[in-house]
Amino acid sequence: MFEIRKRRTAVAAAAIGVTAALALTGCAGGGSEPAATYDPAEKVTLNFAFWGNDVRAGLYDQAFAAFNEEYPNITVNSSFLGFPEFWEKRQTEAAGGGLPDVMQFDYSYLRQYSENGLLLDLDPYLGSTIETDGIAENILGIGVVDGTTTGIATSTNAWGLYTNPKLLEQVGVAGYEGGGSWDDYADWMKQVTTAGGAQGISGGTDWTARIQNFEIQLRAEGKQLFSEDGEPGFDKARLAEFWEQGAEVRDPAYTIPQQRLEEIYPLSGFDAAQTASELTWDNFGAGYLGNLGDGYTELGLVAPPVTKEGAKDLYLKPSMLHTISSKTDHPEAAATLVNFLVNSPEVGAIFGTNRGLPASETQLEGADLGGLDAQIRDYEASIQDRLGDAPPVPIVGAGTLEEKFRQIGQELGFGTLTVDEAVDQFFNEMDVVLNQ
Amino acid sequence: MSTIEVDRAAFLEGQLEPQPRRRRPKRKTVSTVIWFVVLLALTAIILYPLVWLVFSTFKPSSEFGSNPGLIPDNPTIDNYLKVFDGIAGTPLWRFFGNSLLIAVSAVVGILASSALAAYAFARIKFKGVGVLFAAMIGTLLLPFHVIIIPQYIMFQKLELVDTYVPLILPKFLATEAFFVFLMVQFIRNIPRDMDEAARIDGAGHTRIFFSIILPLIRPALITSAIFAFIWTWNDFLGPLLYVNSPEKYPLPIALRLYNDATSTSDYGATVAVSFLALLPILIFFIVFQRFLVDGVATQGLKG
Repeated sequence: MFEIRKRRTAVAAAAIGVTAALALTGCAGGGSEPAATYDPAEKVTLNFAFWGNDVRAGLYDQAFAAFNEEYPNITVNSSFLGFPEFWEKRQTEAAGGGLPDVMQFDYSYLRQYSENGLLLDLDPYLGSTIETDGIAENILGIGVVDGTTTGIATSTNAWGLYTNPKLLEQVGVAGYEGGGSWDDYADWMKQVTTAGGAQGISGGTDWTARIQNFEIQLRAEGKQLFSEDGEPGFDKARLAEFWEQGAEVRDPAYTIPQQRLEEIYPLSGFDAAQTASELTWDNFGAGYLGNLGDGYTELGLVAPPVTKEGAKDLYLKPSMLHTISSKTDHPEAAATLVNFLVNSPEVGAIFGTNRGLPASETQLEGADLGGLDAQIRDYEASIQDRLGDAPPVPIVGAGTLEEKFRQIGQELGFGTLTVDEAVDQFFNEMDVVLNQ
Repeated sequence: MSTIEVDRAAFLEGQLEPQPRRRRPKRKTVSTVIWFVVLLALTAIILYPLVWLVFSTFKPSSEFGSNPGLIPDNPTIDNYLKVFDGIAGTPLWRFFGNSLLIAVSAVVGILASSALAAYAFARIKFKGVGVLFAAMIGTLLLPFHVIIIPQYIMFQKLELVDTYVPLILPKFLATEAFFVFLMVQFIRNIPRDMDEAARIDGAGHTRIFFSIILPLIRPALITSAIFAFIWTWNDFLGPLLYVNSPEKYPLPIALRLYNDATSTSDYGATVAVSFLALLPILIFFIVFQRFLVDGVATQGLKG
């Protein structure tokens, strides 16, 4: 009896193994060989994927219609999703070899996909199929990973300070002028909170919850968050010092309490008209106006506080890039589409700043910018002296660390972590992410 | 009629006073009243999020964040009007239709294939039944995430991506071990005497399955149908991976398109469409729950 039972177990284990093996086979083998040249008479279908909402979907449809007038032989099948789902799907496709031909791409994933050989090397197309005359050298450099260009930035963002003039008028405090020291900014927030406290209006949110504020402070000191090799440009003492700055501004006399932020999540305090300022990427403006509703028609956009006079602490970040799958069957046609989406003045006119401020001069000229869009353009021009080189393409796992930083910021806001514990937690997480 | 049933009937009619004829002790009534108050309070707490959802569908988008309360300050039906227009040229009913098609096919597939597989496991002695049963249970232990990529590669090579085949075909192949297992256990509890009696009368497996087993496992079939429907209706990852064209998206994916973290999120539309997406499931559950209770009640065999 015992013998039989034992044998049964062994066979069962083997069966499970075989089932798993069966499920796993079929992953071998690559895609078909891509056709090398582009033939304008050949009918080509390209898959294109982007993240966004239905407003952006409508804009892309118009852009593809314009594209087809020029290139009637190329059909573009587009599909779109929200940002997190978009990446979930891409990760599976990347593993399965089914990436779309052309993608709207995010900076934080560029290194991972490039290093795994999933993205087409664009260097052979630069200057020919993909025109580069209108794109500044430092913007082209954004899409270079380990010496190879794999992405073309469509548009740029810079870190900025949004203010809400209507709320400020309501509480009777003058708008923040921009620049100044971090203490100046804290004092201004306190002034707004004191004046607006009765109406539930705070000056802003605790800036130490955002890793970008830490980054611009480090850049002012000539360091960076992470080097190309993933070495952190700060030690525990420096991070502790940064979070200690927050000890003061986390006080409800300065900023909106963390608990109120949780209540209105996923809106931010600024979206919900409960804070008068917010440090963030300058392309968030349209979203803020949308969430604030009809009562609010304008926003202020000024430069963030200065850590050190004359330092190049800010930089232009691609709000998104275009990349091509390395397994595409039609690299020439795909490059033609990328060129159109990046450089065409018509696309500029269609999108405005929906994808960020156009990176290409030719596209920017085509864009008819008014209101907030013009404000963003002027803002990026005004901070020219503070703009340094973009940091290296983010390390693999940068997104995870940014999220961890935000979560720790929340816990600091709740007071459930001390600064020392927070620093230890973040370094532990870095250890896991960087050494995996 | 038992006392409990009388109590229930009395309460349903709101007659909490003790009936003179029954001469029940007063203390019992008091404790029942307290009991009901507690239950009502708990129900209110549990139902609040749902009620909030319903009321919030009438809030304009800009009111989210400023008004966390139940009652909208400026009630509007714009959210519904916008939602019925659909997304990116695809009307809302299309997403409902897609979801319904996938869910109904999945229910049919799961019921048909799992019942057959379960019958084989429970009633037929064949070589390797133990091994195969263990392998099937093994797939239950296998985390879903392990098989996503190999499965994707298979369907990608078969060029079935962007069709509903990857979502529906596996359901017809009894790959949902949970349901097979559920039915196996159910069939094992049915006395073999009935099969044997049928066999003596000359029935084969087909006849036994359709005439004896299938009617007797009705409660298991209904339970499976409810779960299969709800799970497929709410499934997000499967359609996300296998469906590319926006006009083929089922509801859960379409729903997320209203709420994009990188640009403006339309919270009014999100809650409105969430509520609409919830309705079919709610109706399905209410309708079939009755069958479920019936099924359990009639399960006992006479004799």
